[in-house]
Amino acid sequence: MNADASPFPYSGPEALRLPILQALTRVVDPEVSLSIVDVGLIYGVTVDDSRAHVLITMTSVACPVTDVIIDEVETELDRVVPAALQIAVELVWEPPWHADRMSARAKRFMQW
Amino acid sequence: MRTRSGGHRPSTLARLCKPLLLLLVAAALLSGIAGGLLRAGLQPPGAGGGWVGRAALAHAALMMIGFLASVIGIERAVAVKLRWAFAAPLGSGLAGVALLLGYAELAAGLSVLAALVFIGVNIVVVSRQRADHTALLLVSALAWLTGTLLWAAGLGGEAVLPWWFAFLVLTIAAERLEMTRLMRRRPGAQGSLYLLMAALLGGAALSAVNAGLGGLLFGVTLSLLALWLMVFDIARRTLFAHGLSRYMAVCLLSGYVWLGLAGLAWAATALGGPWRDAALHGLGLGFIISMVMGHAPVILPAVARVKLEFGPVFYLPLALLHLSLLLRLGGGVMAPQWRAIGAGLNAAAIALFAFTVIAAAWRWRIRHGALSARESQA
Repeated sequence: MNADASPFPYSGPEALRLPILQALTRVVDPEVSLSIVDVGLIYGVTVDDSRAHVLITMTSVACPVTDVIIDEVETELDRVVPAALQIAVELVWEPPWHADRMSARAKRFMQW
Repeated sequence: MRTRSGGHRPSTLARLCKPLLLLLVAAALLSGIAGGLLRAGLQPPGAGGGWVGRAALAHAALMMIGFLASVIGIERAVAVKLRWAFAAPLGSGLAGVALLLGYAELAAGLSVLAALVFIGVNIVVVSRQRADHTALLLVSALAWLTGTLLWAAGLGGEAVLPWWFAFLVLTIAAERLEMTRLMRRRPGAQGSLYLLMAALLGGAALSAVNAGLGGLLFGVTLSLLALWLMVFDIARRTLFAHGLSRYMAVCLLSGYVWLGLAGLAWAATALGGPWRDAALHGLGLGFIISMVMGHAPVILPAVARVKLEFGPVFYLPLALLHLSLLLRLGGGVMAPQWRAIGAGLNAAAIALFAFTVIAAAWRWRIRHGALSARESQA
């Protein structure tokens, strides 16, 4: 599990906070062998009565793997989010990703 | 059934376009390899046909424009999600077919159009993300166009090939520069890369007017770039990961070794040495095909929507590629027959890689089909 207390802003039922964090942590960027949570790609998660909304970014707009990662996010969330909720993964580019968003674990792995 | 956002799905036209692009890319790769084998003194299947002779003459254009530029064009079109972006790989892929049919002028025209579209795509990329690596991608597209214009004007390999290689090397360097953001940037790392990129383009430009001086600058810069990548790339860290990440790191680092050697061979050739094959194929196969082998397990699921089950078997074609290249470029200098045997084994390495990818796709389907069946029974 990620060592950081709160790697991204979360708003919604407390019962879903940990399962959603664990689901997103299972999605790994294959090139760097780190989860998308550790790389800092998740900007926030909001769960309300109708949907689970995830804001996600990528490190580069030229990355062709974006859809694969979003598919995996949806698949992992599908396993933990109640079936009545819509899953909405929104790709955003603002604010731009920066290395400051990386978790302590990710920075240790990259020998910062 | 649960509703998913689904806003990122590829368009219908893009999905229809992909089988055609796959055919064009495969045709360029297979004919490029057949032409290369004929040039190395072997008799590939279908050697009696006129197309193999034309493929031998157009080997570099088939491999670098018909195959690699098309693959890069597809990748970029998938990334920007714009229908018109697929016109770039379509143009470069059709240029390959035109070459095989003997329409060299049409091929040059299609390649120029493809490069222009690709420049447009990269302007979109830069407008969406103003960053060092996106600017470098745009410069790489300009290098493709420059080389193709020289080719269309009838200039020879000494003038054209440095620009086409600069396009491919800059594309890879831009992607690696982007990944270095995950590591602490050391002072001078970015500045030195910009200097190297400028020197590479300078060497390519100079090669058209002074092959000796231009080749020397181009070759030395390639070797220095290899050093830069070995020092600053994240592959030094991901080598200690596991599975696919480690495999990609091995592909990258072994590719950098060939980049360094190819640079030295390029410079030595410019000084009159017998290292032209080592320069061209150390770079084209040792460096660039290593990058392709490293990234295919990640990129293929993205562009072809085919999932792969990665396994240690992926190291086999990579090892065969490097060993056969060593045989070809090392042994080939001493005895010409080693060059031909090595070239045949180079082709075998690429074929083995293709087979490994197909087998990995089957393994994924079998494993996940079985999992789905178990889940539905439970």
